Amino acid sequence: MNERILRKKLRSLYGGKIDFTDKNRMRVMTGEWNDWDGIVKACQLAVTGKKDIHVVNNIKFTGAPVPKMRVPSLRDSALDGKKPDVLIIGGGISGVSIARELSKWKLDVLLVEKEYDLALGASGRNDGEVHPGVDLSKGSLKQHYVLLGNKMYGDVCRDLGVPFSRCGQYVGFDRKELKPFVEAYAAKRRLVDGVTDTRVVSKEELFSAEPELSKDIEFALYNPSAGCVCPYSLTIAYAENAVSNGVTLSLSTAVLSMEVKNGEIVSVTTNRGTVYPKIVINAAGVFADDVAEMAGDRFFSIHPRRGTNSILDTKAGAFVRSVVTVKSLGKVHGAGHTKGGGILHTVHHNLLVGPDAVETFEKENHATNPESISTVFAKQQGATEKLRRSDIITYFTGVRAPSFEEDFIIERGRETHNLIHCAAIQSPGLTTAPAVALDIEKMALQLLRCYGIKPKRNDSFNPHRDAIPHLRDMNARERAELIRKNPDYGEIVCRCEEISRGEILDALRSPVCVPTVDGVKKRVRAGMGRCQGGFCSPVVMKIIAEYLGVPLSEVRKGSEEAVIVFGETKEGK
Amino acid sequence: MQTLYDVVIIGAGPAGLAAAVRCDEKGKSVLLVEREARLGGILKQCIHDGFGLIRFSEKLSGPEYAERYMDMLKKTKVDVTTLTFVTDIEKKDGLFELTLVSRSGVTAVKSKTLILATGCRERTAKQVNIHGTRPAGVFTAGTAQNLTNLLGQLPTKKCVILGSGDIGLIMARRLTLEGAKVLGVYEAKSTPSGLTRNIHQCLHDYDIPLYLSHTVTRVFGDDRLTGVQISEVDEKMQPIAGTESFVECDGLILSVGLIPENELAERLGVQLDPKTKGPVCDQNLMTSVPGIFSCGNALHVNDLVDYVSESAVTAADGACGFENADGEFSFIEPDGNIAYIVPQKIDLTKSKSEVCFYFRSRDVLDKCTLTFSANGKTVKEKKYPFLRPPEMERLVLSLDGAGLKKGDKIKVTLEGGKK
Amino acid sequence: MKKLVCIVCPNSCELEITADENGISVSGNKCKRGVQFATDEMTAPKRTISSVVRTAFPSVPVLPVRVSAEIPKERIFDVMQEINHVTLRKRVRRGEAVIENVLSLGVDVIATSDVLTTAEDPEPSEKETEKNRAKRTKKAKTTAKKTEKKA
Repeated sequence: MNERILRKKLRSLYGGKIDFTDKNRMRVMTGEWNDWDGIVKACQLAVTGKKDIHVVNNIKFTGAPVPKMRVPSLRDSALDGKKPDVLIIGGGISGVSIARELSKWKLDVLLVEKEYDLALGASGRNDGEVHPGVDLSKGSLKQHYVLLGNKMYGDVCRDLGVPFSRCGQYVGFDRKELKPFVEAYAAKRRLVDGVTDTRVVSKEELFSAEPELSKDIEFALYNPSAGCVCPYSLTIAYAENAVSNGVTLSLSTAVLSMEVKNGEIVSVTTNRGTVYPKIVINAAGVFADDVAEMAGDRFFSIHPRRGTNSILDTKAGAFVRSVVTVKSLGKVHGAGHTKGGGILHTVHHNLLVGPDAVETFEKENHATNPESISTVFAKQQGATEKLRRSDIITYFTGVRAPSFEEDFIIERGRETHNLIHCAAIQSPGLTTAPAVALDIEKMALQLLRCYGIKPKRNDSFNPHRDAIPHLRDMNARERAELIRKNPDYGEIVCRCEEISRGEILDALRSPVCVPTVDGVKKRVRAGMGRCQGGFCSPVVMKIIAEYLGVPLSEVRKGSEEAVIVFGETKEGK
Repeated sequence: MQTLYDVVIIGAGPAGLAAAVRCDEKGKSVLLVEREARLGGILKQCIHDGFGLIRFSEKLSGPEYAERYMDMLKKTKVDVTTLTFVTDIEKKDGLFELTLVSRSGVTAVKSKTLILATGCRERTAKQVNIHGTRPAGVFTAGTAQNLTNLLGQLPTKKCVILGSGDIGLIMARRLTLEGAKVLGVYEAKSTPSGLTRNIHQCLHDYDIPLYLSHTVTRVFGDDRLTGVQISEVDEKMQPIAGTESFVECDGLILSVGLIPENELAERLGVQLDPKTKGPVCDQNLMTSVPGIFSCGNALHVNDLVDYVSESAVTAADGACGFENADGEFSFIEPDGNIAYIVPQKIDLTKSKSEVCFYFRSRDVLDKCTLTFSANGKTVKEKKYPFLRPPEMERLVLSLDGAGLKKGDKIKVTLEGGKK
Repeated sequence: MKKLVCIVCPNSCELEITADENGISVSGNKCKRGVQFATDEMTAPKRTISSVVRTAFPSVPVLPVRVSAEIPKERIFDVMQEINHVTLRKRVRRGEAVIENVLSLGVDVIATSDVLTTAEDPEPSEKETEKNRAKRTKKAKTTAKKTEKKA
């Protein structure tokens, strides 16, 4: 929107309480307002349409106190004085994939993550769809990388030993008369936007692939390149491979401040000491704009957007075999900025339903609300009558990290020179990560060269990660062979997911050991099934306690504060 | 271990133990498979007393009850395998082929019949629509009981219990005795879900308040639970907006229902009753798949272990007398006042002179009459001074004189005043 | 008249009790145990309690126990105190007394499981018990540090 019209519009909507100034390729929003949705709307109106000009939100939100970033309680000097070549901030899919690509080089790479485990932000709390890119037009970074990333998935997941299924996606339509328009849309995507395999399929073809869908669906847009992956498994796998190849990973490490001199970051202070990196990569997710601010380079703003997904029992897994969503014109509103989502048959054979999209000022509010489940089910109910809320075994909320331009920010710092931003990564950020990481690797090498560092190839780099065996998926002979070598693989601990003591011990011995109940759960799925750890969590606690040599009361669910039991009931004598 | 058994029993809780002892008595070759290291199932952690009043005429604790059966088992020829998990069952040429996984490897075993004694699992927080964060400190009652009674650990210092089922009430008393403060038991229904005696001896004795028509709608806390939101609910058990209140606590114990475990049964094509969530069975507790029998809490959720053992004996007798011949069935048709009734059908080719029915009323009923009728004739009538949904009723009757023919319906009605 | 629910068995009979100069009369009971319960409840209420005691065997950290007969209701927490102070160092059997004649109430606290008789742990000596105890109660280093060590 141009300056004059925007100013008029803002005046009429906000009575002069919100204004803006344009400077240095930024549109800085100012003023104050007590309604968060109003602030988001003002910033959205202000988007210029020019690629390199970003909206910076400086409007003061007066409606509620904005919570500060949660910082781990741990205080030590483990990292103090370290001088890494590269400091990566953020252990989400972006940070870990960049770290892994950089581990191909003889570099001192330090990755810091403020949580007790990886993938605890948006990377671990999304639907795991590997997008075909059919909803994006040429010109955006998202579109550029989604096509590249999607093609890489098979190889990346094979290398990293992560299950991936190219299950395809069906976008169903319930009105026949829309068919010509959808045909035309598909043709444009094929010819202009590079989604070469998208096509419209008939009702018959759709139902031979997905027999349980609603008979109201008349035809569908089919994207064979769509797939799904377990997003936190992939993030953890990338990190493990990076660590095995020499990257230093420091969990429970929050960046608290930076010292910037003459357009360069000199030092970065964390709760575990001050480090002196040559260059810094900002992959801080919802906090990417805060990190940019610390670095004196804040030229964009993140507006957090919540999305809730439900996981259904594997029994419901039979109802949908791919990714399915239905476009039912006029029936459901308010889905907003969500990449369709829909119903996914996950790599673990559950169904996943969601997500919705709700703007929020709270960057770390992962609490769920019943309304989200209702919205999502109302939206997806049209796809299949078999979808039942009673099959839900769990639900979770993630917070996406979009900019107001709704595109990625992948560039060097504007004011601060030894900085690269990998920011505003939202859907399809999981799909794009492998491709984005390769480009950031190049950018980082180039930037390091400016500081006189010309790294050599890391000759011992091994792209392959040995995954923890998943015995349930093996045939009897393979399974028996493994149990013969290690009887712990024969002792089932988690009955719902059939996870053995051996697999749990493997998780504890893995390159990124997170010896908590949730850490084990994310790595080997103990507690992910229909009983949600009701039966196995005490046993998992015991295995962790024995492995660490600590009393049960020292075992945590997640963070250091997530105490499970308060100690023995008896003092004895 | 042999390669072929007359009976394989899955699960060595009270049902599996009783079934194993009985099958051995009848001279059959038996394999009892247990996934845990110790026999006894959930009774291992049910250390409170009150078990066995009917079976042993004594008030025993759970471990004592289980160990009495384990002592009997020791005197039998039953093969027992612990820490062993059934990963697959196939029916081939009239035999069941089981795949067992244990520390010694993967074993294949064949059996003429199967008894599923797999018990039940607990409903979780997300299955009762509790929202909010995902902190530590939210436990199902069974998990809290395991931590307290088997590991000797204190799972909470100050807690709220949701659900007035028996396990919830028992845990209210257990946690109080172990030094925790139980702020209250909240129940979404307008009547308690547990046995009346447990309301008295577990709550009243310890001054623990019971709040009916209330539920927990939200939990708070990023790491450990810091509190819960309580809401009043309407007749349909839906939370009423505006009635929310916050209760500070570090623990939420859930006793919100048990679900019979029938995933193995479903994979074998066993038909389930949506009311019991257990298999549809005949009077010998044979499921819709010939040769597969069900008992205990896998069949339907019992409130007394004595009846769990009893149903196991029925299933064991059925398995021991099993002949692979098609049955001829009459079907039980309960009316709307009956929450469920087991068995759901009668095999007319088998003895029906002593059929043991288990049922629950849907509501609290006063002075009511239960009537069995077939072909317009009353077979049996029984009067009850009152019936409560938490208290399962048992009734043994003969259907010999009912003149049942294949396909006949046996109507069961329950008439009486709603309280 | 006083109303009570009998807790002797799962029938949960609703008792009506009238006390006059002839003593106590009870109605609503299905069996004679109800009369005894009502009489006790009016004069000296009694309860049984179940709990666990600590052991020195690592694989069985606690052993279930109960009182061998009912105890006065008002002494429940006193008996709990006694139970809390026990650490078992020998393999008791089911039914064996863990505390004899607890608080001189004429009632034993008895083990309700045989599990210790088959526990695979070696016989704990006095010294080892202390070591185990230290291990069980010591404040461990933070999990993060542990992680680093293990990694």
